[in-house]
Amino acid sequence: MKLLTLIDDLLAKIETVILILLLSLMVIVGFAQVLLRNLFETGLPWADPMLRYTVLWLAFLGASLATRENRHINIDVLTRYLSPKLKKLISIITNIFALSVCLILLKSSIDFIKMEIEFPREIFLGIQNWILEMIIPIGFSLISLRFTVNIVKIIFIKNII
Amino acid sequence: MLNFLLILLFILFALFRTPLFAVISAIAILAFVSTQTDLSAIIIEMLRLANTSTLIAIPLFTFAGYILAESNTPKRLVNLTNALFGWMPGGLAIVVLVSCAIFTAFTGASGITIVALGGLVFPALIKGNYSEKFSLGLVTTSGSLGLLFPPSLPLILYAFVAQVDIDKLFIAGIVPGILLIFLLSLYSTLKNYKVVQRQKFSFQNLWRATIDAIWEIPLPFLIIGGIYAGLFTVIEASAITAVYVLIVEFFIYRDLKLKKDLPRIIKESMMLVGGILIILASALGLTSYLIDAQIPMKIFELIQTYITNKYTFLLLLNIFLLIVGMLMDIFSAIIVVVPIITPIALKFGVDPIHLGIIFLTNLEIGYLTPPVGLNLFISSFRFEKPIIKIYLATLPFILILFIALLLITYIPEISLFLVKR
Repeated sequence: MKLLTLIDDLLAKIETVILILLLSLMVIVGFAQVLLRNLFETGLPWADPMLRYTVLWLAFLGASLATRENRHINIDVLTRYLSPKLKKLISIITNIFALSVCLILLKSSIDFIKMEIEFPREIFLGIQNWILEMIIPIGFSLISLRFTVNIVKIIFIKNII
Repeated sequence: MLNFLLILLFILFALFRTPLFAVISAIAILAFVSTQTDLSAIIIEMLRLANTSTLIAIPLFTFAGYILAESNTPKRLVNLTNALFGWMPGGLAIVVLVSCAIFTAFTGASGITIVALGGLVFPALIKGNYSEKFSLGLVTTSGSLGLLFPPSLPLILYAFVAQVDIDKLFIAGIVPGILLIFLLSLYSTLKNYKVVQRQKFSFQNLWRATIDAIWEIPLPFLIIGGIYAGLFTVIEASAITAVYVLIVEFFIYRDLKLKKDLPRIIKESMMLVGGILIILASALGLTSYLIDAQIPMKIFELIQTYITNKYTFLLLLNIFLLIVGMLMDIFSAIIVVVPIITPIALKFGVDPIHLGIIFLTNLEIGYLTPPVGLNLFISSFRFEKPIIKIYLATLPFILILFIALLLITYIPEISLFLVKR
């Protein structure tokens, strides 16, 4: 349990640092692109694909952190009418459900990456497609880990739903 | 039959707070398995997140919006609008409507407005002699007002999902957005001009408030004007906005500290972005299945046996969307419902840009629709009032919004005349 939260916290720190780096890069490159186009009528050919793949990375890292802090978008119409005990039980069930979905997606994304490695192509600055796409299996591993941590916490800690 | 029961079970899970992306993915996985398609097809669809430039604007605008929300911008905004409109009869109500609308356009209507601005304006309304019922209704309503104005997140998301020109959609939302504010302002003035004291217009106050907000005032004009004049695209506007807001709030006003606030703001804003985009990613798989199975066409044929008239269709659409908007948050509603509705509406001859505005107006009202509209709960929580009281307080405002909705739905020119120019 302690080890699990330790790993969880450490990963969250790393994710946050990467998020900060990626978003800063995005702001700088995006703005440089505007300046170049409007003032010098040129542009960086690699900027657009870089920005597009950064969105993909931000999406998965952000989603992983959102799982950790229970901040995913959901519909909350029925849970508020339940007793605390029932709430806990339902919460365990829905978390297990979400975990299983993510594990299936993790498996499919690994299969997908395997296919992509066989047909590599350059996206920008010599970086190949499958490297950029690796964030999908990485993302689903992180999200699956978070759902697992959630389930463990709900079962073992008293006042958590 | 088994599949049908499973889908019902998944939807039941959704109603008990299961993350929506998991529910949508589960339905997509089920659909692909039942047609014996390899599941990596879902992943290929997810990759479409990295295929279009439109989505680049989402993290950049969200980041900028969060900076504005965390700084003292809300205060300066209220001061400025107060100096501008406060002297009018029912002026303070107009101040609330205008400042909340501008704020929501930048922060993306996720309930932040009520939390950030509500606490500022609600006490002021009570002090200004507005009744508690009116004030509660006004602030709750204002919480989602303004999502028709650029650069609101729902507009960008709609443009991506419906594959319409985002620059056009940004322009199309302006007049309908102003119409909503105008009708609500009219109602507020007529209802309150006898009861409330009016403050005098003071040029000195206006001058001071303008100087205070001098760095923030150009922002909306920069975005709307720049796009309208064709100086830059929406994506470029998002990069400019992010850099501009960063410099203004951190280095000129110094409301926020780089070391203390920036990492937190980035993390918070990217959690929202991740939450939205992961739903989008999972829905792309499901949508591709639905389109391949020609589900929209089948729904269209079914509807067509009962309705052949465009106007009846639009009425039906409004009712349907209000229910969707009440149950779902605006982002998932756009992501899930738009791909199914758009082809059907096109068959009925509805302009795709106009459809977008109808869509977003409905979802905006859905935020306020009892019994489960999101703003009602946020408001009840924020102002510590029973939810029933909020229902009753919001009711007259919803009726006004219905009138606006009918106008927007049946007079397409309101949305389109600036676009066609």
